[in-house]
Amino acid sequence: MSISPNEVPFAGTVPSPKTENEGMITGSWRTRRPILDTDKCTECLICWISCPDSSIKSTTAGMEFNLKYCKGCGICNEVCPVGAISLVPELDFED
Amino acid sequence: MVSSNKLFEEPGLKQITVWARGVYENKEARDVVVALTEAAAKEGKYVQAWENYVDLPDRIYVPVRAYGKISDQPIESKYVYENETPDIVVLTEETLVKGIDILEGIRPGAVLVVNTKRPAEYLFKFITKGTENLKSIITVDASSLAKSIITLSGAEGATDASGIGKGLGAPLAAAVVKATGIVTFENLLSIIANKQAAKTAYDKAQVVEVKRLVNAG
Ligand code: SF4
Ligand code: SF4
Repeated sequence: MSISPNEVPFAGTVPSPKTENEGMITGSWRTRRPILDTDKCTECLICWISCPDSSIKSTTAGMEFNLKYCKGCGICNEVCPVGAISLVPELDFED
Repeated sequence: MVSSNKLFEEPGLKQITVWARGVYENKEARDVVVALTEAAAKEGKYVQAWENYVDLPDRIYVPVRAYGKISDQPIESKYVYENETPDIVVLTEETLVKGIDILEGIRPGAVLVVNTKRPAEYLFKFITKGTENLKSIITVDASSLAKSIITLSGAEGATDASGIGKGLGAPLAAAVVKATGIVTFENLLSIIANKQAAKTAYDKAQVVEVKRLVNAG
């Protein structure tokens, strides 16, 4: 989990716009994994705009989570108006 | 002259590293090391307990560490800032087995204590590094015996008046004592607040030898 100090961007700042920061991988913070029920999802994008880690992407296949950075905060689950996102204990998944 | 890599080779020294989730379990990590070191101090040992400042400022869920040292000799490595070769590793939350090098640097015969409902066999699958030096895994469902206490006094706990081992720290410290006998259980009980949780954890903690897990494949 630790990286060499020269790899850490100065003051933790990265050039914008950027969606991934190799110096700050937060996936290991996650204790619960968001799981999408595609049948319920209306693709309203509320979760997309609410995710503090920009870990939700809108793709042609629907909403996708970037588990390398998702820290399992559960905000997406709170804000989804149709209850399409559930939180499952991370250790239930072997990957 | 002593060579520099043998400088802190202290035969009587035991290092305890507790991993926890930032903010939610800061107190619990702190309590495990404080309870064990205070109990050891009662037994005339030399002790130290502190937080890893590299992990701070802690944010919610970020993996954070608390450290303890117990020795029957004066601790020479007193100013070494991190536990580089732990003998005891404790996880206040089970998911910490995943994607984090929790066993980094462990010494031969080290033990791992985990707060979990799951069997050691299952957790073992996620631990990819450092298992050759690991002797046993101790599982205890500490969350069913006590709660995590959020004090908002930060990792150092400067204003924490809730008492040592009021929450999850009590059953976890009890499981450490069961697995290692690093202090007597009576001395541990005399330090911690939640004695009932500690007693139940001491009875119920499951010790599984890693050799058996490896053979089972
Ligand atoms: S908030 Fe819910 S319904 Fe809207 S896009 Fe996200 S998952 Fe789908
Ligand atoms: S749990 Fe939090 S970090 Fe993960 S996708 Fe949902 S809002 Fe983003």
